[in-house]
Amino acid sequence: MAESTFDCVVAILKDQEGLDDVELKPETKLSEVGLDSMATVEAVMACEDEFGIEIDPEANPQTIQEFVDLVEAQL
Amino acid sequence: MAYTIIGCGSALPERTVTNDELSGFLDTSDEWIRTRTGIETRHVCTAESLDELAEAACRNALASAGLEVSDIDLIVCSTTSGDHLMPAEACAVAERLGAACPAFDVSAACAGFVFALDVADGYFARGRAKHALILSAEKMSRLMDWEDRTTCVLFGDGAAAVVAEAGGESPIWTHLVTKPDVASLDVPGLAGESPFDERRAEAPASHLTMKGRKVFRFAVSSMEQELKLLVAETGIPLSAIDHFIFHQANERILESVCKRLDLPEEKVVRTIHETGNISSACIALALDRLDRAGELHEGDLAVLCGFGAGLDVGTCLIRWKKA
Repeated sequence: MAESTFDCVVAILKDQEGLDDVELKPETKLSEVGLDSMATVEAVMACEDEFGIEIDPEANPQTIQEFVDLVEAQL
Repeated sequence: MAYTIIGCGSALPERTVTNDELSGFLDTSDEWIRTRTGIETRHVCTAESLDELAEAACRNALASAGLEVSDIDLIVCSTTSGDHLMPAEACAVAERLGAACPAFDVSAACAGFVFALDVADGYFARGRAKHALILSAEKMSRLMDWEDRTTCVLFGDGAAAVVAEAGGESPIWTHLVTKPDVASLDVPGLAGESPFDERRAEAPASHLTMKGRKVFRFAVSSMEQELKLLVAETGIPLSAIDHFIFHQANERILESVCKRLDLPEEKVVRTIHETGNISSACIALALDRLDRAGELHEGDLAVLCGFGAGLDVGTCLIRWKKA
């Protein structure tokens, strides 16, 4: 479950932000791959649509793993 | 009974402030502001008052409509940053124009112009007005903490107005929403000097504060929801709409909404790069710009959608038929 959520979130991030050629690891910082706060919010919204969940609007994940944890907490 | 918009006008302060100028006293840069907001310059009041800008916008709208001040039965002004806490900005405009009709303000922040149109529509529906002047006048520069680089770079000043005449097809659809949340976007009122006020010492300055992530998300999701509701309730597909006139808060919000709703970029009006966020004046200004550029044609459908502090969202669909 954890792995599939990770893969799914990474796929959404890549699709959302055009990061096809970038390797996203759990420890990758969002800011390092060009996701600023607004891009992160857009990615959060895309995950909400994909998974049918609601994520805390104040959430501010810094890494891919933190992002995945946010999604998993609502599944 | 509905209305037809028969004239538009606007007025911006002479002084433009570039991103480079802001980076002269703030820890920011043209590149940072441009990539995160789309804003390149904004107009900021120096020697002119908001009363003067509002008057000029109204005179331009009256000239565009071919009417005299004496033809106007109602003045509604949307503002949260007027030159006077009282009377209403609309009263200052009425005095300058020499109008004798009822004049009052509507406070619905950035969504205010659409809210004001709806108020005027009520006067038309009750047969209380034949011609109404609906304006937005904002001096956002007075609400800024000029040491806060996350907010003061976003806003500008300006005024814009329309003249509406009773009768016609507009609005085809209107929907106003308030999702109460003061803290996300707030300008505290005056602290005052009451000797009885035990909380005066802790009163914050009247500076705008904003929870950026939350407001960004509210803006994008609300606009998407409202446009989908418009389609569901009117049966008019988004592809049939000629102009999307959205509040100009941030280019990234506009891009995100375009992407989520698959809107063609050329139909989505942009003034943000040149004006920044002028709160409720953005939509009326964009309407005036389109009109003066000859881009509004008889029969065109235009969606106006404003969102902001409240948190308020106001959306309407109008049909263009300028006299």
